Order: sequence, then C-alpha cells, then structure tokens
Amino acid sequence: MRQKSKWLLLLLLLLVVGLVGCNTNEKITTSTTPDNEEKSKTEEVSLTIGSWRTEDVAKYEKVIALFNAQHPEIHVSFNPTKNTEYNTVLNTALQAGEGPDIFHLRPYAAGLKLAEAGYVEKINSLNGLNVFPEEALQASRDDQGNQYGVPINLSSTQFFYNKKIFKDNNLEIPTTWDEFIALNDQLLEKGITPIAMGTKEGWLLSLLHGIVGPAVYEGNDFYQAVLAGEKDFTDPKFIESIQVMNDLKKYFPVNSEGLGMDDIRTLFALEDAAMFPLGSWEIPVVLEMNPDLDLGYFPIPSKESNTTVTTWVDGSFAINANSKNKEAAKVFLEFLTTKEFGDLFVKEFSMISAIPGITSDDALLNAISHSTANEATPYMWVTNFTGGDPTTKSLLESELQGMYLGQVTPEEVATKVQENAKTWFTPFQK
Amino acid sequence: MIREYTAPSVRRRKSRVRWTIHLFPIPALIIYGLFVLYPILAALSYSFFEWKGMARGDFIGFQNFVTLFTTEPYGSMFWNAFKHNVLYFVVQMIVMNGLAFFLAFIIYQKIKGAEFFKAAFFLPRLLSVIVVGFLWKLILNPNFGTLNVILEKLGLETLQKAWLGDPNTALIAIILVNCWFGLGFGVLIFLAGFQGIPSELVEAAKLDGAKGFTLLRTIYLPLMVPSIMIMGILTFIQSFEAFELVYAMQGSMGEPYYSTDTLAVFFYRLAFGSSTASGATAIGLGSALATVLFLFILVCTTLFLRFTNKKNVQM
Repeated sequence: MRQKSKWLLLLLLLLVVGLVGCNTNEKITTSTTPDNEEKSKTEEVSLTIGSWRTEDVAKYEKVIALFNAQHPEIHVSFNPTKNTEYNTVLNTALQAGEGPDIFHLRPYAAGLKLAEAGYVEKINSLNGLNVFPEEALQASRDDQGNQYGVPINLSSTQFFYNKKIFKDNNLEIPTTWDEFIALNDQLLEKGITPIAMGTKEGWLLSLLHGIVGPAVYEGNDFYQAVLAGEKDFTDPKFIESIQVMNDLKKYFPVNSEGLGMDDIRTLFALEDAAMFPLGSWEIPVVLEMNPDLDLGYFPIPSKESNTTVTTWVDGSFAINANSKNKEAAKVFLEFLTTKEFGDLFVKEFSMISAIPGITSDDALLNAISHSTANEATPYMWVTNFTGGDPTTKSLLESELQGMYLGQVTPEEVATKVQENAKTWFTPFQK
Repeated sequence: MIREYTAPSVRRRKSRVRWTIHLFPIPALIIYGLFVLYPILAALSYSFFEWKGMARGDFIGFQNFVTLFTTEPYGSMFWNAFKHNVLYFVVQMIVMNGLAFFLAFIIYQKIKGAEFFKAAFFLPRLLSVIVVGFLWKLILNPNFGTLNVILEKLGLETLQKAWLGDPNTALIAIILVNCWFGLGFGVLIFLAGFQGIPSELVEAAKLDGAKGFTLLRTIYLPLMVPSIMIMGILTFIQSFEAFELVYAMQGSMGEPYYSTDTLAVFFYRLAFGSSTASGATAIGLGSALATVLFLFILVCTTLFLRFTNKKNVQM
C-alpha cells in the first residue's frame, strides 16, 4: 500500500514537472513569424473575420459578395461570436497565437489594449485611410500615432420619441432644457410614461448620462477642459449633471429599478412610453417589433440652448498580427474604405457609416447622420474613460445604480468617479 | 485466517503484476493533470505576475494578493461578495436541504405516487441553468412577470416589487431560485440515505414504543448524518462557486449595485472583463482571487471531511 502511494506520488510529480516545463516555453508576446510564403496574385487565399455582430451574418455575405466582384481570388468567411462572449473568445484565441485573420476591434482603450499586447497589425500606410476624419481614426490609434483599425460605423445616442404620442397631445420637440423638463411634466400629468428607461443594467445609465450630461455641462467645452486637465469631475457642473440624472427618475416607468434593456425597448415599441433615450442601432430593432411606430428623434437641448447628439466610433476592423494572410487582409481592409462599401453598408445595415458623405434612403438615419456631423459631442465615457481597473465607465455605472437605489448621493458619485479617473487618466495627474 | 502457501516463482510473478498495475492509472492521471492540475497551477503562477491586458509582465510576488485585499474597490468588493457566498450557503442549507430532507422523509414513508414526486422534484435539475435563469427572470419581471400579476390578482399590490432590481430582494430571490433548482438532487441523496437504514433498527425502535418525532430524532437523524454531511459539503462547494445563475439573471456586474455579487462573479469580472464595460481585464488579480477561493474551499472541505470521518467512527 505504501509503495503504491509512493509510485502515484512520483508519477504525479513527473507530470507536474513536465507540465510546468511546457509552461515556461509558452510566450505571450508577439510572434514574429517570417512571411516566407510569397503569394502570387492569382493564388487563392482564404480569410476569416471575427466579430461580435452575430445578427449581421446575412449582411456581411453581401459585403463579401461585393468584395469578391473585385477580388475573386480572396475567399472571405464571416464567423461572429455572441456579443457578450466575443472579448473572451477573441482574447483567448489571440493569446494562443491563433484567431481570425481580420477581427472587429472594440473602440478606444479596449481595442488598443490588444494592440499594446502586440496582437494587432499596424496599418499606418493603408490606402484609403485618408477618407476618414481624425475623430473616427482616433478610435483605433495609439498614443504614438500608430493606426490599427479601419473605422466602420458611428454610433449616436439621442432621444427617440413617438411622433404619434407627441401629436395626439399637442407636444413639440423641445428646443431648450426648460422645455424638455416641461414636456416630461406634461406627459406625466396625462398619465403617459415620459421616458422609457430602466436602471437594472448599468450600461444604460452611463449611456443616459452620455446623452443628458452634455446638456447640463455644455458638452464640448467641458469635454475639452477635461482633456486639458483644466476641469475634473468635482466641477459643480458635473455634479449637477449627476443630480439631473437622479431628478429624471420620476419620468421613468414604474419599477424602473427592475427594468432592463428588453423591458424598456418593449415599453417604447408598444407605445407605452413617449421617449426612448438610446442609440442609433436600436432603430431597426424597435421598428421590427412595431413597424407602425412613427419614430422620430431630437438632439437634446442644453441649459444654454445648444443641441447635441452623442457620438463615437462603434467598431473598427483590424488585422491579426499572427495572420498568415496579411496582404490579402490588407486588400480587404482597403475595400472597407471605399464609397462602394459605404453605400452598401448604410443600405444594408441601417447604421451610420464612418465614411463621411454617405447617405441612405432612410430619412431618419440620414437626419441622425447629419446631426453626428454637425452637433456631435463625444461619448466621453467610451472615448476616453474606459481605462482603469475597474474602468471609470463601469464604476460610474455602478455608482449611478447605487444613486438610483438611494445608497449614494450625486456628490459621492462624482467623488468616486474622480478618485478612479485620477488613478490613471493623465490630464488629472498634473 | 489461514495463509495459503505459494511457491516462490508464483510470488515473483505476483509482485511483477503488482508493479505493472501501477502503470494503468497513467492515462487517467494525464487527463487529470492536463485538465485539472495544470489549470490550477497555471492560475497560481499567473497570480504572481503583473499583467498588461493579455500580456504577461514581470514577476511581482504576492503583490496581486496584497492589492486584492487592501486596494479599493477590490477589498470591499471581495468582502461584499464573500458575505453573499456565506448567505448563499446558509440559506441553501436551511431552505433547500431542510425541505429536501423533509420531502425525502415523506416519500420514504411509501406514500402513493412516490415515484412521481421523486421525478417531479428532480425535473428542474434537467433544465440548463441559463434556461432556469431566463424563466425566473420572466416570472420575476416587475411589470409583467407572473409573480407580480398573481400578487395583484390576490389584492396584494403592496407586496409587488422589482424583485431583481431591488438590492434587498435580488440576492435572496436568486438563492431561492437555486434552491428550487437543486431541491430534487437533495431529495434523491436523502432518500437514498433513508433507504439505506436497516429496517431491523427501525422495527426494533418501534417495538420499544418509539414513534413520530422520537423515532426521527433518535433513529433516523443519527443514521442520516453521512447523507447530511455529503449534502453539506456539496452545498458548501456549490455555494462558494455560485456563478451561473447570478450571471444568467443579473450579468457580470452583480447588479444592482453589487448586491448580488459573488466571489466567482467577481472573479469572472476581473479575469475576463465585464460583458458590458468594454472588457478591461485584470488577469493577475483574477488569478489571485481564484487561488484564494480554491484554497478556501479546499481547506474548509478538508476540515469538514475530517470532522465527518470522526463522526462516522463514533457511530
């Protein structure tokens, strides 16, 4: 018996030593596989694309068909992963030196973290990048000015409203902040839920603050001052923006603390609420639930009567640094900068193309697209505050949730956000 | 015992057989090592390094562990989640195992339709946790969920709540759903325990005049200690690894406002990034937390087992 356990122990030890030995050979840095396979133009190449847009498979097939009309020698397959699992799946694959040739890069800090780890190919000299405005390229550009991704679409958040409810109650789109509040009060008096919003899912709260905040602290001025380190989140205007978030709660549906994205979308789509502060990507979803919904939007008017919609780049396409088909991948990325792609994109995806000047037949989308070009303010939490551990954005979300549950005050929310940002946001460390 | 005489040659062959027999576990050990030991050791090793996103940095000793316990918000998040795990365990022990014991006892009395009840109680267990989470999310929905509708029909509007949105009820709601989910398994274990009790003992006790509560206290309960201990240990491990249902019902942020956070959810958030907050990861901290959690469960389970073994000897 004793001998048996000795043997077992020895075997176990050997196994462990062997495995640990394997482990030391593993490197988690960029592999520098030399591109020894010279590919002639006519040789057929296969590319895979990774993405979080499982809902867009059919649409990407059309994109690929258009691409193949020009480049029949490059076979492309679009293999998306569920949105909430995409980061994990992609990270794990990249870590193992694998992953798709081309992948959908999360915007700003999250995507740049992958670039920093050496998983993303630099595309500084890619043809066609010059069509994009600076702000769009910044979503996938590091501090040294290296470009990693081709921006695909802009997202924009604003108040959607039910035109029919507005018309039936003789209500107009607000042009000042006071009108906006008066509008909410009028709806409330008539027994209509003014704003379809729930506080159960944190990301909805940072999103709402992204829309409403700029109206309180005069979006772009405050944003520039924050970037320059002249103002921070202890600024009274910022605290007021959090307070305003709290004040809006009375316009939310009953039991708003238990409502998530699906609930509020249903409320708005079934015409049980008048306004819906959300992103441009919701247009096709809401209209699918209720094709008869007369949908409109308005940019939020600020206290000084400026109007803003909140925009950011939602995704870029990048090349895997470990891909064996980098040249073919570059050809595909160049295609993504062309007007042909842009036209197809707005038509098929009902989203706002990152390529300027692309219009679609959809009047609502065109109008929003026009707003993003003329009265945009950046969605600060996404564009600049996804750094830190936990990220400043997710901390804001939790603290706002705490505020809605009455566990923290608006001042405390601002203080905590400031404390978190100060640990990593360089302009605040001056 | 009479010892048989064996010739020396036979003995030698026997000893060779004995020697080679030790080679047979190797395939199993390789699989065990690859899928159990290796990940544990890897996580352990990761926890001693600095991580920049997905890239491993320098060796930093115990720094990740120090950060986990002393730096805000990690320190308070850890203890907050830990408390929830303890509550998870206590409520499951009392509600789930208590109820399971009671139901198993009733079924053991050979009531009519015992087989039906056994299957019925076990049925939820056959559903995927994600399905369970989704169904209960619908039932508990504040504005059109079945529970609130029933309360309204009964004229109990005042009791209506946003069950999963209110930090006072969210965690307990999830734990109770988990009790509903795990009840059938407990019933099976306890029922097997009851059926393993020698009928002579029960009959003898009955002849001596024991019945009802006395019978339960003096005969059944002491003889059920092994089953109770097994369920205790399983519940303990499951409570401290609680993840799926919380994730399915509330996401990876332990919403609302960390009121449903558990250590495993906290780990997931650290190691893989929250599903909604753009996926920033802290692999070093995540691995440190996984190591702490593993050691905690290991130590507690070992102590628990020691304790049970002693009890068994006493019997």
